[in-house]
Amino acid sequence: MAGLTLKNVIKRFGALQIIHGADLEIEDGEFVVFVGPSGCGKSTLLRMIAGLEDISGGEIAIAGTVVNDVEPSERHIAMVFQSYALYPHMTVRKNLSFGLTMNGNPKTDTERRVAHAAEILQINELMDRRPGQLSGGQRQRVAIGRAIVREPQVFLFDEPLSNLDAELRVQMRVEISKLHKQLGTTMIYVTHDQTEAMTLADKIVVLRSGRIEQVGAPLDLYDDPANQFVAGFIGSPKMNFLKATVHAVGPDGVTAAVVADPSVRLTLPISSRLEIGSPVILGIRPEHFSDAGTGEADLTVAVHVAEHLGHTSYVYAGVSGEPLIIERPESRHAGDQKTLTVGLPAKRCFLFDAEGQRLR
Amino acid sequence: MRVHNRIAYAFLAPYLLIFATFWLWPIISSFLISFQNTRVNPWRFAPSMNWGRLVSDPAFYNALYNTLIILVIQVPVMIALATVMAVLLNSPLLKARPLYRFAFFAPVVVGEVAYAAVFRLMFSADFGIINKIIGTVGFAPVSWFDNGTAAMALVIMAVTWRWAGYNAIIILAGLQSIPGDVYEAATLDRVGKVQQFFHITLPLLKPIILFCIVLSVIGTMQLFAEPFLITNRGGPGGATETLGLLLYRQGFTSLNFGYASAIAYTIAGLAVAISLLNLFFGREAK
Repeated sequence: MAGLTLKNVIKRFGALQIIHGADLEIEDGEFVVFVGPSGCGKSTLLRMIAGLEDISGGEIAIAGTVVNDVEPSERHIAMVFQSYALYPHMTVRKNLSFGLTMNGNPKTDTERRVAHAAEILQINELMDRRPGQLSGGQRQRVAIGRAIVREPQVFLFDEPLSNLDAELRVQMRVEISKLHKQLGTTMIYVTHDQTEAMTLADKIVVLRSGRIEQVGAPLDLYDDPANQFVAGFIGSPKMNFLKATVHAVGPDGVTAAVVADPSVRLTLPISSRLEIGSPVILGIRPEHFSDAGTGEADLTVAVHVAEHLGHTSYVYAGVSGEPLIIERPESRHAGDQKTLTVGLPAKRCFLFDAEGQRLR
Repeated sequence: MRVHNRIAYAFLAPYLLIFATFWLWPIISSFLISFQNTRVNPWRFAPSMNWGRLVSDPAFYNALYNTLIILVIQVPVMIALATVMAVLLNSPLLKARPLYRFAFFAPVVVGEVAYAAVFRLMFSADFGIINKIIGTVGFAPVSWFDNGTAAMALVIMAVTWRWAGYNAIIILAGLQSIPGDVYEAATLDRVGKVQQFFHITLPLLKPIILFCIVLSVIGTMQLFAEPFLITNRGGPGGATETLGLLLYRQGFTSLNFGYASAIAYTIAGLAVAISLLNLFFGREAK
């Protein structure tokens, strides 16, 4: 087991810079998830940790040792690929033992490790099959098994569940979580799925365009996003953003007026210096709208459609062309109405400046 | 339904007619001819004449021996070379890859007569560049066209030169179908490059290589152009006479079509048998 340190890590492909100075501290035994939209550099960063991509600048240290110039095979890491990357011509048993056998590991030890991994992942009955004879979920188990037998210091997962169907994804997610508890090894996991990030991580690293936007515990990111991007990325359905302007600045904070309906005004306890009339963005999560009359302000929206999921409903609405998603638990008739009035509780709202930075 | 069938056959008729006339009929006809005495006019049915001669003809055994020698040496050497070429062509370190791909494939495009002429010049005993090079390293010049073994080596080299690139391109296609992350997984599994080649690349290329071997076996069994054009019609003294050349000599020089047909069927039968053996030994374990 080992911790990791990334210091000002940079990646360039020719003139194109992909990673812009990433700094990160990963504790020993931590489950860290890199999350971000496609092309944000999360897989590249993972591959740099694995040694499959060169480091253009900065330093990566595993267990205190700088590994910039250390071969991937010597970094004591194991990686699970999105496409599984199993050896197609080998049986499951051979897939698991291949690396160890090639490295001259004693046969009895290899057998012990393979049996142990098979036990953990419950793939005993698949040992003599080839990858082509396995389902997606089974292949993923084998891929994880191949990583386990290495007994690495760090596990790297590159979007391991994206090729699985929704149900299997949930199942495997739980299993990976269990595996982490069982092994206690440092794990770094890349995904674009914020639900996976929220459910698996001890620590989430949100990336955008090669920059780390925020690092923190899942609920810290949900409760206290550093900027509009993180606020929008963490949480499902995503946070609503309404254009607003600074209406007044007083000792209680900043009063923002919603542009779509200037009569909707909210005072948030914000101490940032703001000029009256300057544009800001008001953020509120779909689940945080309250009933009309119970918040600091009421907002009336035009209802477009509603999705009824049984335990809750999502109302897709708009106010002066700005789209909104409102969650209405228990409501099964939200779609019948033409308009809907909801309350805006000030303590659940966030304010961002025009550049998307959080105003506190 | 029957009307539909008739219309369909009407559309197929031109093709079927050509197929039957120029493909099916010659195959059947040559089989029948192999049972005829074609050295008399008119031809006479003599079922054991050509086939009987075949099993006791020293010229046939000489041609068979030569063909098999070429097969046994040339096919493995060429496939091994083609695999190495394909791996090199697939290397990301190689610059100007399209140029090399074209260069390796070019021999197939060059006309047989043209390349044979160039080989004859290059291997000419007196003023060929090959003997010049051999001379500069201190060896005696080789009589490529007068020495049976040298002539055989020359044919093998020529065929290898002509077809290695072609096979390399087929193997390259196979190589490119192996996903890169399998190698990345192996690298992280601490498996070295050489071990990766023998334990991952080669096993995954097996079906492609087998395909190339079968194609090459069929090609070599029919080998004609090189011994005909380069080593003076199978010379010296029949040292490079192949089954294809014997067939040509019997059919179109001696006009003994019955015997030529028997040889043709033997070539086809041997090609099928050797290919089946290849497929049998190279089959995937269940």
